[in-house]
Amino acid sequence: MSIDATPPGWAEALLRASLTPGDSDSVSGDLLEQYRESVRPARGRRRADLWYVTQVLGFVWRSARLWAALFAVAFLARTALDWLVPPADFHARANVSTLLGAGIVLLAAFRAASRSGSFAAGPVIGLATAAIAAPIELAGAMTLLAGWHDPITMAAIRSSGGLAEVLTLPLLMLLPGIVLGSIGGILGAAVNRLRSA
Amino acid sequence: MAEILGSFEQAVLLAILRLREGAYGRAILNEVQERMERDVAAGAVHATLVRLERKGLITSSLGPGTPVRGGRARRFYRLEPAGLRALNEARAAVDVLWRGLEWPLKGYA
Repeated sequence: MSIDATPPGWAEALLRASLTPGDSDSVSGDLLEQYRESVRPARGRRRADLWYVTQVLGFVWRSARLWAALFAVAFLARTALDWLVPPADFHARANVSTLLGAGIVLLAAFRAASRSGSFAAGPVIGLATAAIAAPIELAGAMTLLAGWHDPITMAAIRSSGGLAEVLTLPLLMLLPGIVLGSIGGILGAAVNRLRSA
Repeated sequence: MAEILGSFEQAVLLAILRLREGAYGRAILNEVQERMERDVAAGAVHATLVRLERKGLITSSLGPGTPVRGGRARRFYRLEPAGLRALNEARAAVDVLWRGLEWPLKGYA
């Protein structure tokens, strides 16, 4: 047993950002105890660090997965409507769906930061929401394309921004996820401080 | 009849029952892993504990930390009467399903 062994500091910060203040100490203490007493002596430093990071990502996944599902559904609903019920003007629909997507990320980040009291929870959950949603969105778009690729739908896809936009947008959303998450994080942490004052 | 517990919820509640005074996060995780004979994510156990506490099946309180935990508090869990009742109902529901059959099953397929 190595009582001085420490897991990666950034991963511990990430873990604390995903937890409520009431659970932060006890859960991070549980993981540290397991790391020092069982995992590190049995697996060595690198594999023990990997174990720790995997456990932390599990906590982040659980915090962000519902928001990510909502975000992906909003994206796919807009894609399906654009392709199957194309409007004369795409701008109004694009504005509504952009606001909806931004609202979901902001709300996820705000909730995480207001519960944990940590600003960092905002960008972490914002990025995680966009990152978890991306493969769902890509798989959904490909499924839609597999089902509907007749000339009328292909023309609607071209008018709505093209296939390239649909396939790259989920990845491009990672950066806005961090930015919007940071805004939500600032607001959430501020509300948490006001509540505890 | 009340909502039947999922198998993972039962595993966590039974771990708390077995560990008694020593039922805190890491001990529960290890007990569940041992009984289920597989690796279990700490986050899955934590999420289940939060859910069970919200349902009123368990309660928790903080205890002192130890040097190996960096002095961080341990959260100890206790089974409530509602938790015991839920476990009994879950067991009874499985027993009803198996009534009249011999275990291990032979010659049915």
